[in-house]
Amino acid sequence: MEPIQPNLWAISLAGLALTLLPEMAPAQNRPRVDFLRDVQPIFRAHCYQCHGPSSRQGGLRLDIKKDALKGGISGPAILPGNASASLLLARVQGLNGKPRMPFGFAPLTPQQIAILRAWVDAGAPWPEGTARPHWAYVPPRRPSLPAVRHREWCRNAIDYFVLARLEREHLQPSPPAPKSILLRRVSLDLTGLPPTLDELNAFLADRSPNAYEKAVDRLLASPHFGERWARPWLDMARYADTNGYEKDARRSMWPYRDWVINAFNKDMPFNQFTIEQIAGDLLPGATQDQLIATGFHRNTMINEEGGVDREEQRWLTIVDRVATTAQVWLGTTLQCAQCHDHKYDPFTQKDYYRLFAFFDHTEEPVLDLPTPRQQAERSRLQARMAELDKLLKSPNTPKEQRDQATQMQADLSAKIAALAIPTTLIMREKQDGKPPSTYTHIKGAYLSRGELVTAGTPAALHPFPRNAPLNRLGLALWLTDPHNPLTARVTVNRLWETLFGRGIVETSEDFGTQGSPPTHPELLDWLATEFLRRRWSIKAMLRLMVTSATYRQSSQASAALLERDPYNKLLARGPRFRMEAEMIRDCALAAAGLLSLKIGGPSVFPLQPEGIWQIPYNADRWVTSEGEDRYRRSLYTFWRRTSPYPQFVTFDAPSREFCTVRRIRTTTPLQALTTLNDPAFIEAARGLASRMGAAGSVRKGIGLGFRLCTARWPTPRELAALTKLYDEELQRYRQDTKAACALIGAATPDARASEQAARTVVANVLLNMDEFLTKE
Amino acid sequence: MSNNDDLRQEALKFITRRHFFKQATYGIGQVALAALLDERLFADPAPQNPLAPKRPHFAPKAKSVIFLFMAGAPSQLDLFDYKPALVKYNGQPIPDEYVKGERFAFIKGTPKLLGTPHTFAPQGKCGQMMSNLMPHLAEVADELAVIRSMRTEQFNHAPGQIYMNTGVQLIGRPSMGSWITYGLGTENSDLPGFVVLISGDKYPDGGKSCWSSGFLPTVYQGVEFRSQGDPVLFVSNPPGMSQLDRRRSLDALRELNATHLGEVHDPEIATRIAAYELAYRMQTSVPELMDLSKETPETHALYGTQPGRVSFANNCLLARRLVERGVRFVQLYHRGWDHHGEAQYDDLLTGLPRLCRETDQAAAALIKDLKRRGLLDTTLVLWGGEFGRTPMNEGRDGSKWLGRDHHPRAFTVWMAGGGIKPGISLGRTDDLGYNVVEDPVDVHDLHATILNQLGMDHTRLTYRFQGRSFRLTDVSGNVVRKILA
Repeated sequence: MEPIQPNLWAISLAGLALTLLPEMAPAQNRPRVDFLRDVQPIFRAHCYQCHGPSSRQGGLRLDIKKDALKGGISGPAILPGNASASLLLARVQGLNGKPRMPFGFAPLTPQQIAILRAWVDAGAPWPEGTARPHWAYVPPRRPSLPAVRHREWCRNAIDYFVLARLEREHLQPSPPAPKSILLRRVSLDLTGLPPTLDELNAFLADRSPNAYEKAVDRLLASPHFGERWARPWLDMARYADTNGYEKDARRSMWPYRDWVINAFNKDMPFNQFTIEQIAGDLLPGATQDQLIATGFHRNTMINEEGGVDREEQRWLTIVDRVATTAQVWLGTTLQCAQCHDHKYDPFTQKDYYRLFAFFDHTEEPVLDLPTPRQQAERSRLQARMAELDKLLKSPNTPKEQRDQATQMQADLSAKIAALAIPTTLIMREKQDGKPPSTYTHIKGAYLSRGELVTAGTPAALHPFPRNAPLNRLGLALWLTDPHNPLTARVTVNRLWETLFGRGIVETSEDFGTQGSPPTHPELLDWLATEFLRRRWSIKAMLRLMVTSATYRQSSQASAALLERDPYNKLLARGPRFRMEAEMIRDCALAAAGLLSLKIGGPSVFPLQPEGIWQIPYNADRWVTSEGEDRYRRSLYTFWRRTSPYPQFVTFDAPSREFCTVRRIRTTTPLQALTTLNDPAFIEAARGLASRMGAAGSVRKGIGLGFRLCTARWPTPRELAALTKLYDEELQRYRQDTKAACALIGAATPDARASEQAARTVVANVLLNMDEFLTKE
Repeated sequence: MSNNDDLRQEALKFITRRHFFKQATYGIGQVALAALLDERLFADPAPQNPLAPKRPHFAPKAKSVIFLFMAGAPSQLDLFDYKPALVKYNGQPIPDEYVKGERFAFIKGTPKLLGTPHTFAPQGKCGQMMSNLMPHLAEVADELAVIRSMRTEQFNHAPGQIYMNTGVQLIGRPSMGSWITYGLGTENSDLPGFVVLISGDKYPDGGKSCWSSGFLPTVYQGVEFRSQGDPVLFVSNPPGMSQLDRRRSLDALRELNATHLGEVHDPEIATRIAAYELAYRMQTSVPELMDLSKETPETHALYGTQPGRVSFANNCLLARRLVERGVRFVQLYHRGWDHHGEAQYDDLLTGLPRLCRETDQAAAALIKDLKRRGLLDTTLVLWGGEFGRTPMNEGRDGSKWLGRDHHPRAFTVWMAGGGIKPGISLGRTDDLGYNVVEDPVDVHDLHATILNQLGMDHTRLTYRFQGRSFRLTDVSGNVVRKILA
């Protein structure tokens, strides 16, 4: 990667061209317009859709030099050296009474037009061929730390890259976040849970210089770390508890989910993590855990409808496996190549089917997972069965005994079933001694078979590792090969995205030419190389990120900064964004004192309104769990693909039918209705109200509740607003104790019902504050 | 690239500054809030409510769509596509050339042709051939454009319904209603832009995927108005909490949020404040909408509605109330048209007439009612299922009841209003009704046509996801110009 320059490219890509242009370096210092860096991205984003590989409106194509210079039916689009006379410039400005391009879309910005003008005036230099491969396909090289003026601000390497950019932009980092806010932020990021009051108090009292680092290490060592980091992985793994499609019957898959949690908790190196999930069964002496790990690609849906073609269904699951593998490890959208060569990225249809072949050589068994006790009991019962078998097979056994034995066998079978031995879906290589191969499919259609191809990896990327076996294990080694330009970048980018709310490459699912370019290319490459240096340790990378000065900044934005950088691409402030669906529920339960911290096991059924599960051909019913299972962490909630938990869906969780790399965050009134009125959230409000009630006084109670929700004490003004609400509601519920009892879920009114009801209204408000719903 | 991303991000913001000022007109903290909403805080170019009305590509004919989805796949051969030859050859085995290499859901061996047991007659001034099972629709025959040449690629219910709604049989793509609200927004900010209403003997087979927003932001997902419990999930306050309690608590909440906005300046907080105010308004607007008691007895008689009972008729009346209020896309599902003839319950002589009785009057009433209110011109009504049914008797396991298997090669849908030519029919099937022989209309063509009536060019309604631009019509689709007024 070339050293980054203060150039038009970086600035316009940050989406800030408009505001930054006047402040840019003087003209003589400005680099020349570069086609690949400055011009092609404009063409790609705004022109190719109609003048590119898929469509040549007006006979014009702008993705190939020869065609672009030739022009379309209106004549040459580009007259090198003469922008003013070039149709390209006239059209993007809508001159000469012709429609303004891009037709039907927002016009180019003045800065983009200026870039095109400068480029054409400079003779429209256009390097031959693909002079420089797309950045993401070139292995990261470790950049040296950039020079910065305010070194004292930097805590680790990350900060040098961030600060260098800020200094170039004449921006200053924000001050550190207050301790309480920072502890809440890092607790949510590392464990998905808010700090307990004890943790908070201890941290505030700890004046040692490494107090924060100690807290970080405590959180990294917490068993809840794995639960928090399993969540994004399970979206990508499309983990769910049902088969999907019309019938959407239940499946037992939770041992895979627990495997993921454990792997994160153990800080399993990411290359190992990859190998076990892609090819755990192919490891010599594969352990039970390694077999469970192969469930990653058994999370695909299963169609059990009448009339389906089994072989076609199997083929479709492989289509999904190829797409998911490419998304998760390569940040690449390979789906296009199922039907034709990728139009923008260097992947051919043949590449696609060669990858496909790795997965077309598998069997799909179910693995039993008995506990030692179940194992012993089952062996005993099975031995007894065998004895009876012998008896039955013997011709000398009299009929009476025979009948008796048959009956006993039936009882034994029932007993074995009653052991309820857990199972999980796994993958196993076919043992036919043949190398994995498959047929290409013309236009990607299942019914039109093309040529036979053997397994292999895309030619445009690094070579298949020498000596690696030509099977899924080899594929996994190739994915985690140090020469792989993508895996490390894609993975650290996702970690960054989870913490900062936006990846260094915003399109974390697409690092190809159609994705967005990195805001901090050198930082990305530094992190990617650091990831390998630290032996693929996720915890080490996260520790690095959360202990950086960049991360520790306050997320308060001045008006001026907000204007300069509305999306915080430059990182002059700390991250601030709404929590994900599961975290919101977990935090509400934690504030209420209801949350169960039990880890792992079969999925559970928290409170859900009647009538949500409506599935034809499946009479399965949601039966709310009893006891602590009602309040387990959200990642244990039973995930039905055709009908996921409503609160999750409303807060942008995917259905888990397919791999989801990035959840898009929305803000909607349905979300407000959920956290205001969902009985599960009302239950949380009641729980929080009870804790507030034990605080001694109204003011203390409100203060405590506020702190449980935000990690800080309310300001006098906030306290006043909540106290006023409490007083009004107390008045009202004193006059209507029946309503009070209804709200707090009490059968018979007692003296304290109105107080508890008023507190519940206040708690309900606390659990809906923006600051509660947001990690800030 | 990055500008597109910015626009996408912007589209996910929920509010414009002006919009926000409009909302922030009551309750405590108003003055403080206004002071906080300093110009400088909102330097973003033009953050938009993603559901705010947007300009279409060209002048639209229709503003809203009501899609009467007849889930289960009604038999076109017993309702709209009259085939005397089938009647004539009733009971004869179907010629081999029709069924060689065909896959069916249930039929095995060589099936026998089945002529309709119902009578057909020309209806209206236009002389539309319709069966006697739909006497009310016959009264509005002159309003309908009947397409007898629909084709699909799917012959199972769930993928068929998902294909009909999203243009792809696999789960995970945005549905038509989501695309449309994404493209056009909606005109009533107190209600969702895309509403789903369900009646019939069970839930549609494709489930929620039929109205999923797929990879579009979830704000474009169809919102199911449930007929039991809360019409919109969690729209009711908890027991013991009145709307006045709610108002007071939202006032306190707004003061807290506004105070915080003044400190951290994150416009997302303003967005959230507005979302809570809209939620509050929905708590009133949704029950008001669902309350059919203010409709006249004459209207109830027209639709055959019985308030309080879940029915297609109630949903048709609700559909009118929704489009009246500016909701962009309303989809009704009525499941039960799956007349295989396994038993008397699902045969052509008992089952099919029952489904017609459940839907005929209300569907016709909807057209009449929209018309007399001047809404039919701007509302596109669409009636149809996920595929058609075979010209052969299914006779599963030797069943004695008449029934037909799934048939993707030809089926009928009709459209009315919204700039569609009234009183016409399009397309023809062969003498047995097996294949389309004239003016075939594929699902993508139907989608392109619907978008066209709403003023959108289906090739330009796109969304970038996973590195490419997607559209409802994928890489196909032609507007069916012959049916346009």
